[in-house]
Amino acid sequence: MTRLTRLRDAVHGLPAGWLLAPAVLLLVGLFVYPTLEIAKLSLFDPGFTTQHFARFFGTPVYLRVFLHTGQISLVVALGCFVLGYPAAYFIVRMPPRWRPYVLFLILVPLWMSILIRNYAWMVVLGRTGLINSLLLGLGLTAEPLKMLFTTEAVYLAMIQILLPIMILTCYGVMVEIDQGLLRAARGLGATPARAFLAVFVPLSLSGVATGGIIVFMLSMGFFITPALLGGRRDMMMANLISYQVSTTLNWGFAAAIALVLLVSTVAAVLLFRAVVRTPAVGLR
Amino acid sequence: MRPSVSTAAKWVGVATALAWAAVAAAQGVTIVVNGSGGSLAQVIEKVYEKPFFEETGIRVKATAATDHLGKLKAMMQTRNIEWDATELNAEGYPIAVENGWLEPLDWKFLDPNNELPAEAKPKYGVVAATYSTILAVRTDKLPPGKEMKSWKDFWDVKTFPGPRSLRNDPTRNLEFALLADGVPKENLYKVLSTDEGLNRAFRKLDEIKPHIVTWWEAGAQPVQFLADGEVHYASAWNGRITVLAKKTPVKIVWNGGSLNLSYVVIPKGAKHVKEAHTYIKRTFLDPKRNAEFTAAILYPGFHPGIYKYLPEEVGRELPTYPANVAVQFAFDDEWWSKRQDKIKERWNAWLLK
Repeated sequence: MTRLTRLRDAVHGLPAGWLLAPAVLLLVGLFVYPTLEIAKLSLFDPGFTTQHFARFFGTPVYLRVFLHTGQISLVVALGCFVLGYPAAYFIVRMPPRWRPYVLFLILVPLWMSILIRNYAWMVVLGRTGLINSLLLGLGLTAEPLKMLFTTEAVYLAMIQILLPIMILTCYGVMVEIDQGLLRAARGLGATPARAFLAVFVPLSLSGVATGGIIVFMLSMGFFITPALLGGRRDMMMANLISYQVSTTLNWGFAAAIALVLLVSTVAAVLLFRAVVRTPAVGLR
Repeated sequence: MRPSVSTAAKWVGVATALAWAAVAAAQGVTIVVNGSGGSLAQVIEKVYEKPFFEETGIRVKATAATDHLGKLKAMMQTRNIEWDATELNAEGYPIAVENGWLEPLDWKFLDPNNELPAEAKPKYGVVAATYSTILAVRTDKLPPGKEMKSWKDFWDVKTFPGPRSLRNDPTRNLEFALLADGVPKENLYKVLSTDEGLNRAFRKLDEIKPHIVTWWEAGAQPVQFLADGEVHYASAWNGRITVLAKKTPVKIVWNGGSLNLSYVVIPKGAKHVKEAHTYIKRTFLDPKRNAEFTAAILYPGFHPGIYKYLPEEVGRELPTYPANVAVQFAFDDEWWSKRQDKIKERWNAWLLK
């Protein structure tokens, strides 16, 4: 027996759970522990206090920012779904040898700094930007349109930034779906539309759900885009946290806001999972 | 016999060796100096750090934190003091002093000949630079024959129509609003200290709110907005506007500007307090070096000697130029550090309205 095969057998002898140990250790050390510390910070300052949470829930401005954050995240997740789902389907249906190139093109913007992509939107949407210059030049408007510094600009940029994540997640699930099932449905007399809606859509739903959840969670923590492209009302929770951390040094209050953000995001995700029951048929 | 050339050469050799030994002793010491990074760091490296190393053998490791005060607090809590010196802005300095996070400075060592005015010698910080938040105007967008001269004009949207931008923060904007409302600059903080004065400032801001197309967060933004023509009038930091003026028709209105200090401090418990003192003395407090720094970055220190080394046309563009000082108000960092949190809450609520 060579050393290598002995090693392989030894690894096989281990319960599979052990292989998770490094990841679990990392998560406990770098995520669970800091989160508990943040929870402590929000409730002890230095003695036990609920003042930070009372301040958050007792001040209308924070609740409004909280609701606005949820609204933006929801719209962005929906927008990513509407654009990302057909795109992923298109890629799955194209000849396999073309897929890597298209997937590469979708990945490219992910390697670009978010800051740069936000600035690019300013160049496109501004008063003297690309669209307005075109419209004014063609005589379609007399005054530049106000597009930059609006909530819609925030939606647009965030959807563009997060769309690749939605497409890739949907693609990952769709590519696993056995195309033979669709052919079988057609063979049994379903129209192409019926086969798509009754077979493909339910099977791809778990990808949509996962993609939507990831996009929603990432949106909840967004910070730069609303600050750069939004109007004065487009404050998000992360903007409040950053101010409390670096300017006023009120870390207890910052921790309380962060905890509200974390708990509400987790709650929203669980709620969504409960509503969209993901079928496990045909999927590993 | 007269000492031969070779003997003299020997002595020179010994002297050189001794000098090198002294340098070598100091060598090996590396101090960590924290700043803001970016183009400022490049200037600091060229005019401060490199010559300092050549003279003293003390190496300077520059770090850049985006959030000086927050990181300082974290260092104090974990008692792991990484910095030997750090920049601190006007709002951060009083908070750090109040919490006891700073090493007291040895002013006898830093300013042995008493060249600095007393107000330039706070107990825990050296004024590393001064900067102004000023009104910047796109001169080509002004109505013909008109000139914007004050915050009152900035508020006058009938005479001066056009998009505007202010910073997304109550600091300075409340002061600007009161100036626009006719409060003399000497009374700004007295008026703001009363509820009635605070309400008055917010009421005045109500007037301008619909005309502010965007509230900026980072210092680079108003510069970009002005360059693109996205806004015609904005509050901004002086140094960046002087640079922008080289290619864009833009002008600084010093009248009603907010004069701010930025400090360099030594964190309490720093590992190289002595070397950090030496560094500060030979860089920020050396008028010639500071003049060199100022010419590149337009944020002068407090040493009165620097104007000797600066040409008049550079001097005129500086926050501490006497004619500019005369028309600005001094930003009161202590006043703000006590009220910042509460007023920012009101500010956010006001923005959402």
